[in-house]
Amino acid sequence: MATSTVEPSTYIAPPPAEETYYEAHEPTILGGGFILAVFAVWELYPAIFGLSKGMKLFFATPSDIIAALYSLLILNEKLPMVGTIWQHFNASTGTFLFGLGLSIIVALPLGVVLGRSQTVDAMFDPFITAFNATPRLVFLPIVLIWFGVGFWTVIAIVFLGAVFPLLINTYAGVKNADKLLINVVRSFGANEWQINKLVVLPNSLPFIIAGLRLAIGRAILGVVVAEFFGGTEFGLGVIMVQASQSYRVDILFAVLIIFMVVSLLITAAVKQIENRLSRWRPAKIKTF
Amino acid sequence: MSSYISAENINLTFRPKNREAVTALSEFNIDIEQGQFVSIVGPSGCGKSTFLNVLLGLIPPNTGVMSVNGRTVTGPGTDRAMVFQEFGLLPWRTVAHNVELGLELQGVAKGPRRETCQGFIKMVGLTGFENHYPHELSGGMKQRVGLARALASDPDVLLMDEPFAALDAQTRDIMQAELLRIWHEAKKTVLFVTHQIEEAVYLSDHVIVMTKRPGRTKKLVPIDLPRPRDYEMRVSPRFNELKLEIWNELKDELSVGGDEDSGHA
Amino acid sequence: MNAWIYEKRRLLLGVAAVILFFLVWEVIFSGLVKLNPLFMSKPSLIWSGFMYDLKSGKVLFELMVSVRPFLFGFIAAVVVGIVVGTFMGWRQKVGYALDPLMTALYASPLVAVAPLVIIIFGVGVPGKTFLIFVLSVFPFIFNTYAGVKAVDQLLVNVVRSMGGNDKDIYFKVIVPSVLPYIIAGGRYAIGRALVGILVGEFYAASAGIGYMIAFYGDMYAIDRMFAYILIMMVIAVAFTEGIRWAERAAFPWRVGM
Ligand SMILES: Nc1ncnc2c1ncn2[C@@H]1O[C@H](COP(=O)(O)OP(=O)(O)OP(=O)(O)O)[C@@H](O)[C@H]1O
Ligand SMILES: [Mg+2]
Repeated sequence: MATSTVEPSTYIAPPPAEETYYEAHEPTILGGGFILAVFAVWELYPAIFGLSKGMKLFFATPSDIIAALYSLLILNEKLPMVGTIWQHFNASTGTFLFGLGLSIIVALPLGVVLGRSQTVDAMFDPFITAFNATPRLVFLPIVLIWFGVGFWTVIAIVFLGAVFPLLINTYAGVKNADKLLINVVRSFGANEWQINKLVVLPNSLPFIIAGLRLAIGRAILGVVVAEFFGGTEFGLGVIMVQASQSYRVDILFAVLIIFMVVSLLITAAVKQIENRLSRWRPAKIKTF
Repeated sequence: MSSYISAENINLTFRPKNREAVTALSEFNIDIEQGQFVSIVGPSGCGKSTFLNVLLGLIPPNTGVMSVNGRTVTGPGTDRAMVFQEFGLLPWRTVAHNVELGLELQGVAKGPRRETCQGFIKMVGLTGFENHYPHELSGGMKQRVGLARALASDPDVLLMDEPFAALDAQTRDIMQAELLRIWHEAKKTVLFVTHQIEEAVYLSDHVIVMTKRPGRTKKLVPIDLPRPRDYEMRVSPRFNELKLEIWNELKDELSVGGDEDSGHA
Repeated sequence: MNAWIYEKRRLLLGVAAVILFFLVWEVIFSGLVKLNPLFMSKPSLIWSGFMYDLKSGKVLFELMVSVRPFLFGFIAAVVVGIVVGTFMGWRQKVGYALDPLMTALYASPLVAVAPLVIIIFGVGVPGKTFLIFVLSVFPFIFNTYAGVKAVDQLLVNVVRSMGGNDKDIYFKVIVPSVLPYIIAGGRYAIGRALVGILVGEFYAASAGIGYMIAFYGDMYAIDRMFAYILIMMVIAVAFTEGIRWAERAAFPWRVGM
C-alpha cells in the first residue's frame, strides 16, 4: 500500500531530464482531462448503449444541459413553470444576502461578547454546541408555523444556517487573542474599545473570514432547502422541485450547475481574502 | 579497502519537481576506521545531513560507492542508527514507545524491550517522562529521546546530526560526557555532525571539514589529545591550536551574502 | 488545579443555563403569557407528549425507520471515502485527476439533487441511503486525501532506517497519521448525513423522525413536534460530541498540534 510514499525516488527526484510541457502542467491537464472524460462518457453513453424507457425520463446529457443553460441564461426564455430563470436567480440572491447579512449583524457582536466574557461564554456554550451540531433544517416545520409560508420562513432558515459558523469562529478568534499583546496595549493606556480595535479585531479577522466562508456555504444550502419546502413563488430551489416533478432533468441540472458555479466563485473569492489576511499567521492554527 | 566506513567519489544531485536542481555532494570521499569518533563540520547547507542519509541508506547516491564494513550500502540496516536533526519522533507515541521503536522493529519481545529502554531513558535524564507525548517536551528533551532511541537499537555505527543543537549548555556538557562514555564502553563508530568547533575537537579522533556546497571533504584534522578527555582539557593550549586550525579551514567556506549559498544559510 | 476549577465552573454555569432556559420557558407559558397550543408549547407538555409516544413504542419505531438508511449510507460513505481518498493521496496522478471534480462537488449544495434522487430511487430506504451517501462521502474523501498527503516523510524514513518494512511503515506511521483526519471527517459527515435524512423524510416519506416532525407540524401538534425536534438534537449532539470525545481520548498526542 504505502510503497510510493516511501520510495526514495520520490524523495530525491526522477532521473535528470528536461521538464516537458506535460510535466509542468500535469495537475491542470489531469484534472481538466478527467472532468472532460466524465462529460464525454456521460454524453456518449446513451448514444452508444442506449437507455431503457424508464431511464430516459431521468436523463439529460451535457449537451441538453448546456442547451438549457443557453436558452435560460442567455436567451432569457420563459421557464415552463413560471417566470424566467433570472427572476428566480434574483429572488434567491435576495434571500441569500438578506439572511447572510442578518446573521453577520447578530453573530459578530455576540461573538465578541462571548469571546471576551468567560461567564457568558460558559452559559451560551451548551446552546451553541447543540444548535451547531443539529442540522438547522430540523426547525423548518416550526419556522413554517411561526413565520408562515413564504419569504420570512426562507430567510429564517438561511439565517439559522449561517449564524452559527460565523458566531463560533468570531468567538474563537476573539478568545485566541494573545493575552500578552492585550496587556502590552493596556500598559500603554488603551481602553477596552482600543484593545478590541488594536489587538482583538486584527487577530480575529482571519477567523471571522474563515467563518464567513463556512457561513456562505451554509447559507446557499439554506436557500436551496428552504426554497424546496418554504412555499415561496420564486427561487432557484422552487424551480428545482418543479423541474424534477415535471421530469425536466435538463433544467434541474442547469440550476444545479448555476448553484455550483456561484458557490465555487464565492468560496474562491473568500478564500483569496482569507489567505491575504492570514499571511502573518503561522500555518499551524487551524480554523474550522 | 581496509577502512570500516568508506565513501568513494559520491555524487548526489537533488532534482525537486518544478525547482532548480541542487548538487549536494560532489566527488565526496571519506575513510573511517572502526571504533573511531569522527566529527563533521561545514557550512550550513553543504550536504552534511545528506551524507549521513546516504550512509544510513535512505538516499542512494547518483554515482559512487558507499560501504560499511566491506559491504556496499544498498538500504537501511540495523547496524546503523541515526539521531535525526529534526528529531523525527512519532507524535502519537509516548517517550517510552518512541525509544522502543528500533527494538520493536527488530522483533524484540515487549518485556526485555521495555527493560532495555528504561536504562536509556534514564541515561538521557528523562525518567519520569516515559508517558509524555512529544508535544509535551521541550526541544532539548525531544532531542534526548531521539538519542535514546538510536542508542537503544544498539547499532555498530551511530550517526548523529547536530544532536546537541537544541540543548542548553549544561545539559550539553553532561550529554557529551555520557556520549564519550557510551562510545568508549560499547565500542561504536560515531559520525557526529556539529556546528560547534569546540564540541567537535573535544569529542573526536578526527574532524572532517567540508567545503561549501557542493560538499566535499576539504581537510581531515586528526585530534591528538589524549583520552579520557576531561573538562579542563578545553583550556589547554593544544586544544585551542586545534580549534584555530579548524576555524581557519572553515572560515574560507563561510561567505555571507553574494554567493549562491546565501539563500540557504 | 486552576484549570480543574475553571472546567468545573464552566460546566456548572452551562448546566445552570440550560436548566434556567427550560424553567423560564415553562414559567412564561404557565400564566405570564397565555399559551396558544397551535403556535407554541412548553417543556411539561413536550415531555408528556414524548412519554406518550415513547410508551406506545412509536419513538422507537420511527427511530428504526431513520436509522437503517442512515447506517447503510454512512457506512458506504466511510468505505468509499477512505478508498478514494487513499488513492488520491497515494498516487499523485490520481490526486491531480480527481481533485478539481471532487472540489467542485464538495463545494456545491448537493442536497439540490434530492428531488431527482427521490424521483429515481423512491422515498424508501434506497433513496434516503443514496442521499445520505452522496452528502457524507466528500468529507471522508477530502480528509483521507489530506491525511495521506500530510504523512511526515521524516517519520517514514525513521522507521525505514531502523529496519522497518512496508507493513511497518503502513501500520506504525501512515495509519496513525491518517486516522485522526478520517475521524475528524466523520464529524463533518455526520451533520451532512443528518441533513440527508431530514431532506429525504421531509420531502416524501411515510415514517421516520424527520417525517414525524413534518407530520406533527402539519397537524399543529406542536408538543409532539418539539419532542421529535429535541430527539433529533440529542442524537446530533450525541454523535458530534461523542466523536469529539473519542478524538480526545484516542489521540491525546494531537492536543498540542
Ligand atoms: N530532499 C531534498 N530535496 C531537495 N533538495 C534538498 C533535499 N535535501 C537537501 N537538499 C538540499 O541539499 C543541500 C544540502 O542539504 P543538507 O541538509 O545536507 O545540508 P546540511 O549540511 O545538513 O546543512 P545544515 O547544517 O543547515 O543542517 C541544501 O542546499 C538543501 O537545500
Ligand atoms: Mg543538516
